[in-house]
Amino acid sequence: MRPRLSFSTILTVAAAPGVLFLAAGCNRGVSDSAARPSAGASEINEAGFVKYPESDYTQLDPAAGRSGGTLRVSTTTDTAILDPHGVSATYIQWFGRLVFDNLVYLDPTGVPQPWLAQSWTLSPDGRTYVFRLRRDVTFSDGSRFDAEAVRLNLEHMRDPATRSTLAARYIAPYVDGRVVDDFTFEAHLSQPYTPFLHVLAQSWLAMISPKQIRENPRSAVAAPIGSGPFILENYTRQKGLRFVRRSDYHWAPAVLHHEGPAFLEHIEVDIIPEALIRYSGLASGQYDLTLEAPPQNAVAIRADSQLVLDRRIRSGIPNRGLAFNTEKPPFDDVRVRRALALAVDREGIVQMVGFGEYQPKTDFLAATTPYYDPSFRDALRYDPAAANRLLDEAGWTGRDSAGFRTKDGQRLGAEFLVSELATPSAVTVAIQADAKKIGFELRLTQLPATQVTDRRSAGTFQAISTGVWHTNTPDALYIIHHSDEISTPAHVGQNTARLRDAVFDDLVARARQTSDPAALKELYSKAQHRLTEVVPAIPLYENYTFIAYRKRLHGVLYDTSHNTPLLLGAWLAEDS
Amino acid sequence: MNPFFRRILWRLIAGLGVLWGAATLTFLTINTTGGDPAIAILGGGEAVPTPAVLARVRQDYHLDQPLYQQYLIYVAKLARGDLGESYRLRIPVTRAIAQQLGPTVQLAVWAGLSAVTISILIALLTARRSRWVRNVSSGTELVASSMPGFVLGIVLLLLFSFRLHWLPASGQNSGKALILPTLTLAIPMSALLTQVLRNQLEEILEQPFITTARARGVSEAGIRLGHALRHALIPVVTLSGSFFGMLLGGAVIAETLFARQGVGRLVADATVNKDVPLVLGVTLLAAAVYVLVNLAVDLINAVIDPRTRTT
Repeated sequence: MRPRLSFSTILTVAAAPGVLFLAAGCNRGVSDSAARPSAGASEINEAGFVKYPESDYTQLDPAAGRSGGTLRVSTTTDTAILDPHGVSATYIQWFGRLVFDNLVYLDPTGVPQPWLAQSWTLSPDGRTYVFRLRRDVTFSDGSRFDAEAVRLNLEHMRDPATRSTLAARYIAPYVDGRVVDDFTFEAHLSQPYTPFLHVLAQSWLAMISPKQIRENPRSAVAAPIGSGPFILENYTRQKGLRFVRRSDYHWAPAVLHHEGPAFLEHIEVDIIPEALIRYSGLASGQYDLTLEAPPQNAVAIRADSQLVLDRRIRSGIPNRGLAFNTEKPPFDDVRVRRALALAVDREGIVQMVGFGEYQPKTDFLAATTPYYDPSFRDALRYDPAAANRLLDEAGWTGRDSAGFRTKDGQRLGAEFLVSELATPSAVTVAIQADAKKIGFELRLTQLPATQVTDRRSAGTFQAISTGVWHTNTPDALYIIHHSDEISTPAHVGQNTARLRDAVFDDLVARARQTSDPAALKELYSKAQHRLTEVVPAIPLYENYTFIAYRKRLHGVLYDTSHNTPLLLGAWLAEDS
Repeated sequence: MNPFFRRILWRLIAGLGVLWGAATLTFLTINTTGGDPAIAILGGGEAVPTPAVLARVRQDYHLDQPLYQQYLIYVAKLARGDLGESYRLRIPVTRAIAQQLGPTVQLAVWAGLSAVTISILIALLTARRSRWVRNVSSGTELVASSMPGFVLGIVLLLLFSFRLHWLPASGQNSGKALILPTLTLAIPMSALLTQVLRNQLEEILEQPFITTARARGVSEAGIRLGHALRHALIPVVTLSGSFFGMLLGGAVIAETLFARQGVGRLVADATVNKDVPLVLGVTLLAAAVYVLVNLAVDLINAVIDPRTRTT
């Protein structure tokens, strides 16, 4: 999902330089003599793969936890709609893991493992899944989890009244389901769809109480009922949420090695839009954990002996600063697209937005995504000389008085459409400056986000700012770049670049129908390679979960689907 | 009928016209600035609704009808007191606003009272004093009244919350948490008010009736409090109508910065997300309060200054 453009973003951007300066002067924790702490070792190894410790995914010492206490959390975005099926918002990822369970859970390598479904089989034609379900699971309203509950949930996801903006699309090939017996559910798909199990592991496709779906589905918008380790006690709009532990919870996914209920008795989440206040609230001990640590405070957090700063690369499509309209000049010429991608100095951009914490990115799939292949990450590395050669080759050999390249008297340039902010984002301006260095004129046009979305859907742009797409499967490549995902009036798609490449389409479409790991590896590797040849966008840096917490909080795991903190095994040490 | 009540009645009728105008203008503005409302309702560019969901939303909110029909539907519902359902929150607009109104009113009342108190105090103390006192005072006022709200808020935060640890940076459970947002709103207003009030005071202190009072042996404090202030307050009361606008604008900043609940933050989010019914609802509320505040200002002026009474 793309980060939402909010008023507070505008505020933060506008206020950031002053804040940085003043906050640094006011921080009690940093003494002048303290050396600048390292930003933490890079998570990417020499070969280009990412490896996180085992303690990320599984509780190594389940006996160590202390039961009880209230965890105080701050987060940036108000949780306006809490029905996970009815919204695509980012907050559902952490919220979902507190209140709900899913049919499956991924292991650290991205392979689906049992959760509420104990086992499953797939028919040889790839179109029928049979799930055998746990028999001991109840929702917090007392209703039973069973095959009918699964059927009702899938129906709720695709019911137009639910207004699903993600879940319904993720299960689009689902035709219907059959309750074979109380605890056996058969799902029929219109065609083979390998990502099916993966999407069923995501929080947006969590299981809601069947009683709630039957009796009052609308009530799930504000007060959803799940079978998860915590119960939502209270939600006050623009203020926060309060959760209480379910003492009879004992059906966590086996991958986590956590038996029984959560350690924490209560969790209180406050909505704090301003980064500066989230940071100060953490430093002063008002909060134990912030779900969105401000990168601009990374140095101060790392220098504070009471705090831990932690980041995880999120799977899916990384941050792309700019998507080309591959259908319109000048970006219908792949040489021009490639030249611009080669001209952007990501190291500089990463320093600017990530304060030394982010990894620059030169390929099109996040390093934590299953089947990520780092082999092609040099293809689009910063190389202004190569960029200039490509533009020469494409015939843009003239120069006008302003220093921009020309061909047949026409200046080489394009309009760059971005969402309105108080000032253009630093990234946008950096791309513009880098383009100028190779004689390319990017002209910024700022419009309200809704108008940018309009023009994006209609394809009436040359270049456009774009963001990330987080999902737990390499099928992200299909969602973002397959030609079926180009928007039309009837169909909303995410192929912003309007890429129509038959070679690529074939690879990712075949991958959807393949379940053999070796074949998948080859298909997805080729697809990633192909993208570095057709260059639909300029990848800039990895997409991150960026959290910070006080050292009295222990046992924070990371969800294998969303790379967000998982609080089931988290516990608080006694106040010293 | 008593001319006084007739005047109130006419003002209320004109107020209804203002409400209708505000609703119409906002409706046109927000609907003609582009952006597919159906996509906005579904969460903007990050959504991938199925065609069935898109069709359903267009039908539910009459987005498949021409704009003038949407407008007629809206006005017809409005006449019945129905403000519709917020696109983004999926609850009735009236409930969404009601949930957030209390904290905003609390903040606005405290900020308004503080601003008036501060400005009266400073104006009384600095009017017709030495050049030095006046220069320092009006210099400070100039800076305070022209400083953007979020800069002032951040400065206050850094000083009183982060460095001195006197006041909490966020939250709304304690009275203490109300102090910084209140000051963020009150300081620019009080700076402006003080300037006006001091000019008035200085003019009045030149008047013959003040000289007469002095001649009668009234003390300086007595002159300022008992004679000059009452006259000087009239333009301040008139100005307070427009201060309401400053309060609402300031609430957007203060509520977001200090993580407070409130209508300001609600409408800022609604505007960015093209939540038409919610933006319209808050606009109508603001217009209604404007009408009432201006009416109140008229009545108060009539009490303070008999010359403005029409009878």
